[in-house]
Amino acid sequence: MNALAWLAPVALPVTGALLLPVVGPARRWLLLLAPLPALLLGVFGAPGRPPQLNWLLLEATVDLVVGSRPLLVMTAFVWMVAGASARRIGDDRPAFASLMLLTYAGNVGLLLAADVVTFYVMFAWMTFAAYGLVVHHRTESTRRAGRVYVVLAVLGEVALLAGLLLAATHAGTTDLPEVAGSLSTAPGRSLIIGLLIGGLGVKVGLVPLHVWLPLAHPAAPVAASAVLSGTMIKAGLVGWLRILPLGDVALPGWGATLIGLGLVGAVLGVVAGTLQSDPKVLLAYSSVSQMGLITTAVGLGLVLPDHATAAVLAAVTYAVHHGIAKASLFLAVGVHKAGTRGWSHRALFAGMGLAALALAGAPLTTGWLAKQMLKGVADALPGGGRALTLALSLAAAGTTVLMIRLLWLVREPSGARADARSDARSDARSDARGVIAPWAFIAVAVAVGGWLLPLSIPDAPPLVPITTAGVWDGLWPVLLGLGPGAAWLRYRPERRLARSSPRPAIPAGDLLLIVERLAPAVRVPARWLLHRFDALARRVRTFQDVGRVTVRPGAMIDHLEDRLTRWRTAGALYVLIGVAVTVALALGTA
Amino acid sequence: MTIGAALPLLLLATSLIPAVATFFIPERSHRRRTVLNVTAAVVKVVLVAALVAGVLYYGLEFEWRAAFLPGIDLVLRADPIPLLFVFLSALLWLTTTVYAVGYLAEDGHQSRFFGFFGLCVTATVGIALAGNLVTFLVFYELLTVTTYPLVVHDGTAKARAGGRAYLLYTLTGGALLLLGTVWLHALTGPLEFGQTEVVEALAVQHRTTLTIVFVILIVALGFKAALVPLHGWLPQAMVAPAPVSALLHAVAVVKAGAYGIVRVVHDLYGLPLAQDLGVVMPLTIVAAVTIVYGSTRALIQDDLKRRLAYSTVSQLSYIVLGISVVSLSSTTGGLVHLVHQGIMKVTLFYCAGNLGKRGVHRVSEMDGIGRRMPVTMLAFTVAAVGMVGIPPTAGFVTKWYLGLGAAEAGQPWIIGVLALSSALNAAYFLPPVARAWLRPAPGGRSGPAESALAGEPGGWLWLPPVATAVSVLGLGILAGAPLSPLTWAAFIADELMAS
Repeated sequence: MNALAWLAPVALPVTGALLLPVVGPARRWLLLLAPLPALLLGVFGAPGRPPQLNWLLLEATVDLVVGSRPLLVMTAFVWMVAGASARRIGDDRPAFASLMLLTYAGNVGLLLAADVVTFYVMFAWMTFAAYGLVVHHRTESTRRAGRVYVVLAVLGEVALLAGLLLAATHAGTTDLPEVAGSLSTAPGRSLIIGLLIGGLGVKVGLVPLHVWLPLAHPAAPVAASAVLSGTMIKAGLVGWLRILPLGDVALPGWGATLIGLGLVGAVLGVVAGTLQSDPKVLLAYSSVSQMGLITTAVGLGLVLPDHATAAVLAAVTYAVHHGIAKASLFLAVGVHKAGTRGWSHRALFAGMGLAALALAGAPLTTGWLAKQMLKGVADALPGGGRALTLALSLAAAGTTVLMIRLLWLVREPSGARADARSDARSDARSDARGVIAPWAFIAVAVAVGGWLLPLSIPDAPPLVPITTAGVWDGLWPVLLGLGPGAAWLRYRPERRLARSSPRPAIPAGDLLLIVERLAPAVRVPARWLLHRFDALARRVRTFQDVGRVTVRPGAMIDHLEDRLTRWRTAGALYVLIGVAVTVALALGTA
Repeated sequence: MTIGAALPLLLLATSLIPAVATFFIPERSHRRRTVLNVTAAVVKVVLVAALVAGVLYYGLEFEWRAAFLPGIDLVLRADPIPLLFVFLSALLWLTTTVYAVGYLAEDGHQSRFFGFFGLCVTATVGIALAGNLVTFLVFYELLTVTTYPLVVHDGTAKARAGGRAYLLYTLTGGALLLLGTVWLHALTGPLEFGQTEVVEALAVQHRTTLTIVFVILIVALGFKAALVPLHGWLPQAMVAPAPVSALLHAVAVVKAGAYGIVRVVHDLYGLPLAQDLGVVMPLTIVAAVTIVYGSTRALIQDDLKRRLAYSTVSQLSYIVLGISVVSLSSTTGGLVHLVHQGIMKVTLFYCAGNLGKRGVHRVSEMDGIGRRMPVTMLAFTVAAVGMVGIPPTAGFVTKWYLGLGAAEAGQPWIIGVLALSSALNAAYFLPPVARAWLRPAPGGRSGPAESALAGEPGGWLWLPPVATAVSVLGLGILAGAPLSPLTWAAFIADELMAS
């Protein structure tokens, strides 16, 4: 029973994915029900000690540590809602539903993993199953997104695996807490930490490893985008929190690097996102920006080991808040694309406004709570962390501008436009009915979800007190952002940019475009070299040619071959040999 | 004769007798031939299961010996390492027989084919159970000779050229093996696998000679194990029909070479002595070079089977790499890859065979084939993902242990080699998979087939790859289960490293 409670969160979706082709109409419930065991486990906690699953993988172990529990609840909840909205898609496309279930299994499994092998297995499983979600539409642009995704994913996996191997060897065990605990004394610590930060950073969208994100997240169908940007992007963060030596040792170098890259990501996400005209790409950039802020929290934990627990809690709170808000916005954009009119548009717009306020950290929203916790840690920096706190507030102002731009893009009901479009549009319209109810559900969660969070942590610190100073601290960046936001709407500078070039000033993928432009300069010579190498290797079949020149066995062997391939000759020969050997041996043993 | 002596002989007989009988079955008696061969394969699997249970659970000893040369017996003995290989070959013989029945259904010369096929397996079982180097040599040569007619089965000029290359390489290897064997026995007198103390005792006096003999033996075995630069025959032999490729690449031939290296290093010299002689590190380096070289060549092969052949060159050296690095995890990883590589590669060759039946021979022709042949391509995808080492497949288990072992032995550069190899594997295995599933099929035949099996070639050809692909996943997911190859390999490695 105990083992079942721990296994069901992963086993149920996997079984569901395998049975999907045969279960018939009941399969529409699978996506909705699959996250239930994880949700129950997260809400009610674990029944008894985690079981030993010696037979599974490489002696898998599971646990539910303080930080993972709220993430587990959030992950299961977001997947459940996304699953509900994907049900219609799942109805006609079992392959998509299968991939959703498999991806979910990996996502939830990595939260429960208590040893590095199980963690890595689940992490990689999720990554590669999600590839199927990214390329679902099979157009040239999704294939490109898929290509970039898979290349970075493979590189990330390789780096992560190497880091985990080195760390586990030093620890002499695969137990996650023990590996993390001994990491601070490992030889070649910098190399290991670098591999882990980089390998997991691909998933987090750490600059400059973020380039896949603005391509892949929008490429997927809406339900998949919601979980990609809402929950899967947190997998790398979970890895960081569980394996980096947070609280054991001060790593000012790595900490400062993470804080720096996090802030760059926060700014880059806002700037590049604001220039987009596709709301899904804009949301993906917003994820880069928000994950940058979470990265800052992890960096603070590395710089300040004494405040590591607070930093971890801030990161987890932020992750839960962002997961719900971002999933809600993606689903809302999906509803909008599918067609809205009249009251449904107004409801949608109001809900999106709420989620946007939360992301910007307006007072008393979950975003505000998360940002206050983060600033609380930053205050502990030597010198009070004034600059960092200010940077965080300015990032919030930037997010406000970004969100205004988002709301601008979806300001008009899309119902009227919908009829004029092609078949794909009417496809999407049928999706809308499946999407709107779950979206409404998650919009409510945006409002209250984060505040329930501390309830799930047994010995959590008291909630951030609601003070005038705190409220003002959350309010002024939003007000500040309203100014440029309003000015933007007045002057619309992107139009002027668009007139000179049809693409956004910073196309989706930003730095990637430089890489792609430079790629032929590397690829062409590399291919040429490989072909030259191959041709050379084919010509110099040294051994064989030496043989041919010296003994000219060709004719001889051809002759032999003629004889041998007459199978009656050969068969008879074998019988004879067999009999002879048997007789000889029988005599020998006697 | 006791049961302990009878079982090893019986294992040989279950493929020898049907093989010989098959030669005399008229070409047209399809059913008789099929029933005979499949029954024999099933019986062999049952016998191997009995053997495994006997050794592991009841601690029984299975040994058969008969005088062969003065002072030297022919010995068949079921030690733990042989069990791993026997188990693999018996299982894959069954699936490959089923596959070959379907694959060759319309071909001629089937009695010849299945006859030699059975003889090959007989030789393989002999190699696996060989209790000393001489017995090993006898069956090793037998394998070379019996495989040749299979490689040239098609009888075309290209097939003959491939066969010629095969014979040239493997016969040279065989001659060197004979030389090494004779030389070693001249020093030691009668010698059996597992008597490492005999060789060790000579190390003081005959250090140089022992080193030379070691090198000769490894080079000899390296021909079949396709160590660079002795690998040339393998990509040329890919002209053979798909079941033969499966045999060459997974069940028997290359595996025999790698297995021989395992036995020479662990059961003849012993790892401590080999390390002392300073021959282990060079072996590691050769393996590492082979791994990278094979993957690099595979990268630009458009012919699917050629690409798979170079992948074999690379993957096989994982085994050599594993056993040449001195640590428990490495040895475990090397031994378990003996099984894992076989099952993954056999799946890929079955799939390549199925694709070939539908006229797809090149990677560039694979566009959209996943829609038409979803079952084959699912199996291909699982095996390809396994080759890259992505969890939860068997390939990941190997990679994890090899990497762990490298770090344990203080040779972290090997992790770099493994990382590079994974990236290269991804670069040549994932594009065909992506093509098959994502690109539109040429000529607008992109609509999904009416049923999952409509596009598959007939004759149950989809069944063997599905069975092996499921095993690839099972071996990864249930790696920790009792009786899994991993537990088994860990047990053997434990014994080897303890002594």
